[in-house]
Amino acid sequence: MTTTAPRPAETIASRPAPSMRQRLEPFRLQRAGVVYAFALILLTFTLASEFTGRPFYLSPVNSANILDQTVQVGILAIVMTICLISGNFDLSVGATAALGAGVTLTVLNTGAGVTVAVLAGLGSGVLMGLINGALVQGIGLNAFIVTLGTMTGVRGLLFILTDGQSIQTERADLGELFGGVVPINAKVWAAIAGLAVLALGVVSLRRERMGQVSSGYGPWLIGSGALLAVFSLVFFPTRWELTTQVYIFAAIAVIAWLVLRFTAVGRRLYAVGGNTESARLSGIPVARYKITPFVLNGFCAALVGILYVSRFSAINPQAMTGLELTVIAAAILGGTSLFGGAGNVLKSVVGALILFTLINGFGVMNLGANYQDLIKGVVIIGAATVYVLAERRGTRRRPKAATP
Amino acid sequence: MSAALLEARGVSKEFPNGTRALRDVSLTVDDGTIHGLVGANGAGKSTLFTIIAGAIPPTAGSLRWRGEEVSWTAPGDSRAAGVATIHQHIPLVPTLTVLENVYLGELSGLYRRAPLMERYEQLCERLGYRADPGRIVEELPLGERQMVAVAQALATGASLVCMDEPTASMAQAEVEVLFDAVRRLRSDGMSFVFCSHFLDQVLELTDTVTVLRDGEVVATEDTAGLDEDALVDAMVGRTLHQMEDERATPLAPDAPVLVNARDLRSPGRLDGIDLTVRSGEIVGVAGILGSGRSELLEALFGADSRCSGEVTVRGEVVPHDVRARMAAGFAFVPENRVRQGLVPSWEIWRNVSLPDLATLSRRGVLPDHAAEIDRASAAITELGIRTPSADTPVTSLSGGNAQKVVFAKWLFGGSCVYLLDEPTVGVDVGAKADILRLVRDFAAQGNGVVIVSSGLEELLAVAHRILVMRAGRVVAERATTDTDEPELLALASGLTTVTGASRP
Repeated sequence: MTTTAPRPAETIASRPAPSMRQRLEPFRLQRAGVVYAFALILLTFTLASEFTGRPFYLSPVNSANILDQTVQVGILAIVMTICLISGNFDLSVGATAALGAGVTLTVLNTGAGVTVAVLAGLGSGVLMGLINGALVQGIGLNAFIVTLGTMTGVRGLLFILTDGQSIQTERADLGELFGGVVPINAKVWAAIAGLAVLALGVVSLRRERMGQVSSGYGPWLIGSGALLAVFSLVFFPTRWELTTQVYIFAAIAVIAWLVLRFTAVGRRLYAVGGNTESARLSGIPVARYKITPFVLNGFCAALVGILYVSRFSAINPQAMTGLELTVIAAAILGGTSLFGGAGNVLKSVVGALILFTLINGFGVMNLGANYQDLIKGVVIIGAATVYVLAERRGTRRRPKAATP
Repeated sequence: MSAALLEARGVSKEFPNGTRALRDVSLTVDDGTIHGLVGANGAGKSTLFTIIAGAIPPTAGSLRWRGEEVSWTAPGDSRAAGVATIHQHIPLVPTLTVLENVYLGELSGLYRRAPLMERYEQLCERLGYRADPGRIVEELPLGERQMVAVAQALATGASLVCMDEPTASMAQAEVEVLFDAVRRLRSDGMSFVFCSHFLDQVLELTDTVTVLRDGEVVATEDTAGLDEDALVDAMVGRTLHQMEDERATPLAPDAPVLVNARDLRSPGRLDGIDLTVRSGEIVGVAGILGSGRSELLEALFGADSRCSGEVTVRGEVVPHDVRARMAAGFAFVPENRVRQGLVPSWEIWRNVSLPDLATLSRRGVLPDHAAEIDRASAAITELGIRTPSADTPVTSLSGGNAQKVVFAKWLFGGSCVYLLDEPTVGVDVGAKADILRLVRDFAAQGNGVVIVSSGLEELLAVAHRILVMRAGRVVAERATTDTDEPELLALASGLTTVTGASRP
């Protein structure tokens, strides 16, 4: 036995093309269920608006609206997914968001610059994350208990500091920093994105043809890229008025996805969540990978709080109560495992979009706000049921298929 | 002639992925007998077990129970008929007491301790062994848990108990207790199917042995007419086992010191250990469970944060930290491969590249998928891992192949010291020979190995020098050529403390 370098290239060239089963893997209900559900919901509301004589449901105005409403929960769903992948849990994000908002406004009211105020707010969030992380990883307390405690404690702290009153600001510069609308030419940019996907597909397919390692998704990438390009050129608006906050949301989503999907950091995070002991004995600095998600959660929670006050210029100590549960619901809709090691931030984003599309759709349809929470509850349990059943069927179908 | 207790006729099992796990397997278990079942990893033992337990149906063939054809479709069916299956991972509730576990199936309504206790005492009488009924199962050593599982099977009125590797990581004394109980129950009319990789135990305990190879029965014979060589030949179909009879090639007297550990201490685990590994040397560590043998390896690997002492590699001090030790060339194959060695939900390639991900990544950050697959494929060829491809999830591999994947993690990383904790537990003879050969070749290239094993024969075969540990200390050190199994066993169990410690 020798510790030689990896095999030379000629053995690799004989790699067989992926089977249809492998190619279809990402389309299975268990993997893509949340996307199907989202498409179904959009379709339902669009048809319902058509038949009841209301304006086009997916109009540029309404679609921009849904995105804007999703921003806060969406951002938190991304970092919550990271935290869940690492095998932990964070209930304190709503309280931390309120804390970050409160700190920012307080600093702003002392006459400090807006940058200083924002940094102070974000700093408070990071601090909360560090406290959570240190208690969970350092002492070994259960994450659920720790963050339940910090959630309650931080709310209490806010009440003490504000004496139960809301904090307000007269200054407009925070609103100027994070408010406002930046129109985008959706037709052109979506077409460019479509072409980029198409190009990636071509590269992937060529690698596959040459017998190199590839994902086997080449044909799908080419097809969907071409479809997106053509479709956007025909239907997409030339002026899509998205708020600044939507761009921040999108940037966080894309960066988080790229890091988790394509970097060694992402791989190690999944390893730590999948089997902490194995990861530790493979030389991964486990503590760092366990604490960082809490810090990211604190940071992004504070950011969400700041986005919130940039709009309302005021915060009361009870603002954003229960936010963390909506965030976790979005992550669960996206198929994130509560036991660590599995999850996809983009699917969690779709999960958040589903929740807010439902709220928006019910508003547009004039169905009354009373039904919203009931429907949301049903959707969450329904999603979890579908995931479990799809997985069970997946494991059962195999033995059956074999019997002649 | 009365009908056999259990009879399998022409049982076949084909899985949808095309694997034919069993081909036309026939097996007969008579009343009051112990039936041994041996075979290499992947030979189909586990599949046969699950079919007998009723967890999966056979593709073809039939099962007969006391002469009547049965088609069990759920584990409950077979249990009701009188079959108890004890898997390697003992199915007890760890947080309940021994008594509650033994009568788990009957706990309903009011829990009344007195009548259960009475029955428990009778049960212990039959078993010839008594575990403290008030102890929480979690706190019991592994061997005792196995006995509780047997008691549980007995309490459910089972007339056939199927045991899968019951003695893996059991100390010799515990094995004796188990075997005594099994023999006693046999004379009571109970039957057993005993499945083990320890062929000496199979020969010692069983009445009849069935050997499986590649899903087929290659032999069913009376144990009395068999010996270990005959069994191994039947199992592997080739003569691989000579490996074990060899002794290590002597070490060059001037081999330089590779690793030097001084005064390793860790509260409650290690009590001042000195260890030297020379270039090309294989150091064996013997000792019973809890003697500190696994803890020693963890300390050497830097995985014990409370450990003090000094470890040098080629004269340079390496701090107590896993990454520093890895960088210095340490590689660790832990005792529990599923819990400590692998990420179970991952494919082979992802597991193999984990410790060395940085070098397999572009600019150390972006993992190079092609390079990872190549490395995993190279490892599969090099170690002879039996798998359709590098994309196979590690959970669907057999024990020996999963263990090879753990080895593969360290194969190409430029390690110079292997720390191996029970590398051959639950591994069949063929894979065991592969692994031992790998260890020898690795050492022969001037590297060092510290190997912990309960199999003293194996240590004697592979190591140059053997340290015997007890209660966190090294109580004796022997050159392999100067010692034998009985002496090591005595030293490890503390029978000859004085003589052992008095020798240098």
